[in-house]
Amino acid sequence: MSLVDETLTEFERNARVVLAESLARVDARTRSRLNQARHAALDTAAARRRPWWRGLALMPAAGAVAAAVLATVLLWHHQPAAVELPLLEGRNASVEATDVDLLADSEALDLMEGWDGPFYEWAAAESDANGESG
Amino acid sequence: MPAALHGDVDLTDLTDSEAKTQSRALNQFLAGVEVKAFKIAQAGLRNEDDALDAVQDAMLQLARAYADRPEQEWKPLFYRILENRIRDMQRRRTVRGRVIAWLPFRGEDDEEEPDAIAQAPSPEPQPVKRLELDEAVGALEKALEGLPRRQQQAFLLRTLEGLDVAETAAAMGCSEGSVKTHYFRAVQSLRAQLGDLYV
Repeated sequence: MSLVDETLTEFERNARVVLAESLARVDARTRSRLNQARHAALDTAAARRRPWWRGLALMPAAGAVAAAVLATVLLWHHQPAAVELPLLEGRNASVEATDVDLLADSEALDLMEGWDGPFYEWAAAESDANGESG
Repeated sequence: MPAALHGDVDLTDLTDSEAKTQSRALNQFLAGVEVKAFKIAQAGLRNEDDALDAVQDAMLQLARAYADRPEQEWKPLFYRILENRIRDMQRRRTVRGRVIAWLPFRGEDDEEEPDAIAQAPSPEPQPVKRLELDEAVGALEKALEGLPRRQQQAFLLRTLEGLDVAETAAAMGCSEGSVKTHYFRAVQSLRAQLGDLYV
């Protein structure tokens, strides 16, 4: 080893002492933050190591949530219609179609609005009376 | 099997005791390097908060991606990650500096209030020896900041962290010959500046 190398080694040794001293002077706040960073990193590593079957521990909670969602959906679909009028006996599809035609036809609606009930009742009674007498 | 594979090891196959052993080893490793890493980052970034961020990022990255690697690989990997992080932050800072230089109102918002506790003088008595050491530490840190980044890195990894040439080359992502060159130039430069204080 040359003299230059020995001098270099001496310099390095001194530098190492000074650098060690600079490490010792790192303040408590910085050390605390480094400590927090280390624990965050360890948590990350632990999360990566967690086996997949550990996830099964969460199954009961997940199952309960899924069951609740399923029950809500089923109830929603089986809810009875708001107002469903019973069909009259003898009322057939053609009658229903007529009702629809009446609703769709604006003139028919005008007729409906001008409905003279007592007159038609009287005419019907007269017709029945004539039939019985005839 | 829906296991999380990474590298050569299936992490989910570790037993609890193996996981605890690995966690303990990682904790010990990080605890051993964290302050040195902070000083290296501080020398490169010249800012305490940025240095802490860089070290934290390097720790997280090591834990996330390389915790399953053999322990003897952690140190070069960690310092490689740290160096990349420091370089990224330096680049970002350079770009930011260029952008800010064009802004009409600048500078005042970046100046943080000094931490009163950190600025407070230590109640500890300082004998002559300590003052000499204070001077040596201050001079070395200042001289280190003036070195080119690669020389700074080679010197700190070899002298402060104690990595050998091969480990330093792995950490710096260069050949062993380059490490020797950077290190030699760093020592020459530091000796030229600090010779009186160190010999």
